[in-house]
Amino acid sequence: MTSGAVILSTIFMLGGIFFFTTATIGILRFPDFFTRLHATGKGDTLAVLLCLIGLAIYEGFSLTALKIVFIAVFMALAQPTATHAISKAALRVGVQPWMKGEKEDDSSI
Amino acid sequence: MIRSSEDIIIRTVSRILVPFIQLFALYVIAHGHYSPGGGFQGGVILGASLVLLLITYGPSDTRRHISGKSVAVFSSLGVLIYSGIGFICLLLLGNYLDYGKLSGILHVTPAEARSLGILGIEIGVGFTVMAIMFSIFFDISSGGKPPEDEKE
Amino acid sequence: MSTFFLAIGLGLCILVFFVLYRVVFGPGVFNRIAAISAIGTKTLIILLIMGFVYGRVEMFVDISLVYALLNFIGVLAVSKFLEMEKEL
Repeated sequence: MTSGAVILSTIFMLGGIFFFTTATIGILRFPDFFTRLHATGKGDTLAVLLCLIGLAIYEGFSLTALKIVFIAVFMALAQPTATHAISKAALRVGVQPWMKGEKEDDSSI
Repeated sequence: MIRSSEDIIIRTVSRILVPFIQLFALYVIAHGHYSPGGGFQGGVILGASLVLLLITYGPSDTRRHISGKSVAVFSSLGVLIYSGIGFICLLLLGNYLDYGKLSGILHVTPAEARSLGILGIEIGVGFTVMAIMFSIFFDISSGGKPPEDEKE
Repeated sequence: MSTFFLAIGLGLCILVFFVLYRVVFGPGVFNRIAAISAIGTKTLIILLIMGFVYGRVEMFVDISLVYALLNFIGVLAVSKFLEMEKEL
């Protein structure tokens, strides 16, 4: 384990934690469902990818690192698809997007 | 009744992912004795891949791949493998599921025979769990109506 | 390095508690589903970090992969169910 790999993985993990924090702030503070989904869909995907790459670098060259890379590929495919499915279902059911100037939504759907 | 989704993104992604999920399930079943997992967990993952196929492609397309007859065959084939290995051990003058006695017919040492016997048991459990998970989800989602009536 | 992993895991647990606010009080079903999906991705990283702290990554990586898979299928199934509910 060289110290360069440790420093690189630390940088990746700190970046992942930063994007997790921004996604959490977004899901707490944004005004309606679609904007919240916008925050968590993009931010969480990027954060998960950064964290997994950092962990794979720390693990080194082994079967476990290959599995972690496989999880990263799976998340990069699956997370945007899940976000797309939720948002399309919400549009079909009839959740109204928030317009500028309205108050924060508290719809019952 | 679940309709097949006409959304091209979800269809394509699930078509890409389903073979890899099933491959991973086979890995979980085969490595059950020295890593987490085993027959039940691997069977649940296999069933989950079929459920993904069902909620994406709809019941009629899925029924073409996995018919009701094959669900029945798989669920009873698993029980047959499980109890068959147990009864072979009984016939070889051991206890029920006493895999060490299998070394006589497999021509290996008793320790290796125990490992192979557990692998056979887990394959049987995996078959049954896969078929039953899919059957439960399919029957609940179709609301008790067979899919043939739905087409009219 | 183990202390660093513990700190990261603790920070993720605190973030999960913040997102849990959206699950409990969020208006409507869709906010809750989005928040639950976000909690699932955080849990995946927490599981891997637990593996590194305990020194048994080769065991926890399988659990984490299955967790990611079931999270994906669960979100798809729930969104499909809500769509179906509207049509009935």
